[in-house]
This record gives sequence, structure tokens and C-alpha cells, in this order.
Amino acid sequence: MAGNPLFGKKIRELREAKLREDATFTLRQFAEKVGISATFLSKVERGEFDPPKAENIIKMAELLGVDADELLSLANKVDPELEKIIKEQPTALPDLLRTVRGMSAEELRKLTERARKEQKD
Amino acid sequence: MAKVKFLKHDEIENAALCLLAEYGRKYGEVIEPPVPVDAILEGHLGLAFDFDNLPKLIGVPDVLGATWIQDKVVLVDQSLDPTDNPRKEGRYRFTLAHEIGHWELHRHGFLANACHPSLFGDKPAPSIVCRSGSRKDPMEWQADTFSGYLLMPKDMVLAAWQRRFGSPTPYIAKDEMADLSAKWGLADDERPTVEVAKEMARAFNVSGQAMQIRLIGLGLIRTEQPPPDLFDATSSVSSAIGREGE
Repeated sequence: MAGNPLFGKKIRELREAKLREDATFTLRQFAEKVGISATFLSKVERGEFDPPKAENIIKMAELLGVDADELLSLANKVDPELEKIIKEQPTALPDLLRTVRGMSAEELRKLTERARKEQKD
Repeated sequence: MAKVKFLKHDEIENAALCLLAEYGRKYGEVIEPPVPVDAILEGHLGLAFDFDNLPKLIGVPDVLGATWIQDKVVLVDQSLDPTDNPRKEGRYRFTLAHEIGHWELHRHGFLANACHPSLFGDKPAPSIVCRSGSRKDPMEWQADTFSGYLLMPKDMVLAAWQRRFGSPTPYIAKDEMADLSAKWGLADDERPTVEVAKEMARAFNVSGQAMQIRLIGLGLIRTEQPPPDLFDATSSVSSAIGREGE
């Protein structure tokens, strides 16, 4: 229960921004929608408790309308779906990941765009 | 803190109704119960709200809620978290509305006296600490009264009663209370919660006891048989209720 103040602060900021327009984004109602207890969420947001499991973080991102990977990264977690994806191509995908390791974010973005384009074609 | 100003019931009720109307202008009018107290506190008033172990944090036993006026922070004891303890829902909502009552009725006295001694670390002492047994304090009484008016607004209660019974005629609870008291071996001055109060409480998401106090206050539940000429005995809702508790 070391806590992650950066993650907690981000969630509270995003939730409070939503709450200004939508009354259902209170601590209690948001916790219920995410599937965690309100006390736990309260302590996560204040950085007292560690972030919840990845599935809950993905749900948070969906409700808050933000990129799940961004929140998972803040929480030092990886989308559990990635493990499943890697297991589908257990040799090729780890090889790809090792190859692109060290490339800049911009280079990776361009590579992803190219892959998307090729998949469409 | 300045001396607590005397407030009449009407003034407290008006404060609660004004707040509800202001909330309605921002988020949409609240026509049906339950009143969204958490959204009023966090969304409309912009107070930071959290759960914590208050007796441990503040070092005072039986603390249910605390408000830091300067910091705009309200903490409620985690034992009342309804996501962990659904049976505490009524108590949780009443405590939240009670803290809103302090904010609405008493904050100016604290803002005028902004210097608070520090009790623990960098965090100053809470402006107001609400214990389960501190109801006789005038400030606590005012916040309790505000809470009742906010959670169970008169028009909303009357409309719910009208829908349920088809008329605003009161229910004479004397016999049911006597039966329940005998069944549970209660003292003469204790008032058991009658079935109609429990039923209405579910709609307003409050405790049966709080609902009963409000219904008695509005004259919709009577604990004594009124004189025969006070209203037409045939129009009593006792028959409509059908003594469901029996």
C-alpha cells in the first residue's frame, strides 16, 4: 500500500473535471461504476493506496474518456490483453518488441502508422 | 468560532431548499427522491470529499464526519462507506447532508476566524468534528435539522405520501407503535419505526428513524389519536396502510 500520488492526482483531476458537467462523477458513484469501494478509491486518489488492478484502470479510462494506456502507464501496469496478444504469436511478437526497443516515441508512432496502413491494404 | 447564531426551523428549511434549487439550476431540477447529497457536496459546492478512519486521524472516538472549512474538505468515517456497508446507506447520507448543513449555516463564522492550531503534522485541525453523541450542541442540532430538510424536502415528502395513499391524511401510528414496543420490550419513551416510515425511507434513501421523525414533523404520522372533531376519522390512512407490519 505504498501509494502512487501521481496516478491518484490524475484520476481525481479527471473525475472532478467530469463532475463539473455530470453529477454522476462523485467519488461514490464513480467507485461503484469502476467496481471498487469508495474508501479504496478515496485513498488511491490521495496517493495513500496503490492503483487498482488493470481491469479497473481500463474501466476508469473508459468512463473518463481518456487513453487507457496512459493511465496504465502512470500506474506502472500493462494491459493484460497484451500478454494474450503476445501469446498468439509467441516468437514473432517478442522478436518485434526486442527489435523496436530503443526507438524513439516518434519513430514508433511512424512504424505503427505504416503497420496500420499495410493492414488496411 | 463566533457564537452560533440562533436559527428558526423556517430559516434552516429555507437554506436547504435554496441549496437544492441552486443545485437544480446547475445539474437539473431534483423532482423525485432520493436527493443527490454527494453530488450537491462535491459537484455543486465543490468540496473535496473523502473517506478515512476518522477516530484514528483526529484522535477522537465516535467521529462520523469532519469539515475543514478553510480547505473546503469533508471527511466521513470509512465505517459509513455504503459501497462496503450497504446497511449504513441512510447514516452515510444523513452524515453527508449534516456536513453540508455546517457548510451552509456555519462556514462564515469559521472563515472569519481563520487561525486554527495544528493537531497533526501539516494538516490543521478540522473546523468541525461531528461525533455520534454530540447532538445537543446547538450547531450540531442545526446541522441535523438542515440534513432532515435537505434529504426529505416537504413538497417531495407530501407528493410521495399523496402517491402512496391518495390523500394527505395522516396515519395514526399509536397502536402500531404500542404493538411494536410490546413485541420488542421497548421503554415507554422509545418510538419504534412503523412500517410506513420504513417504506417511505426506502424511496428517500434515508434511515427509517429519520423518515419517521420527518413524517411526524410534517404531521403525516401521528403518535396520538387526535380528538374526534379534529379531522374526519373515516379519512385516516390506517385502512390504506392495512397495518402491514402485523
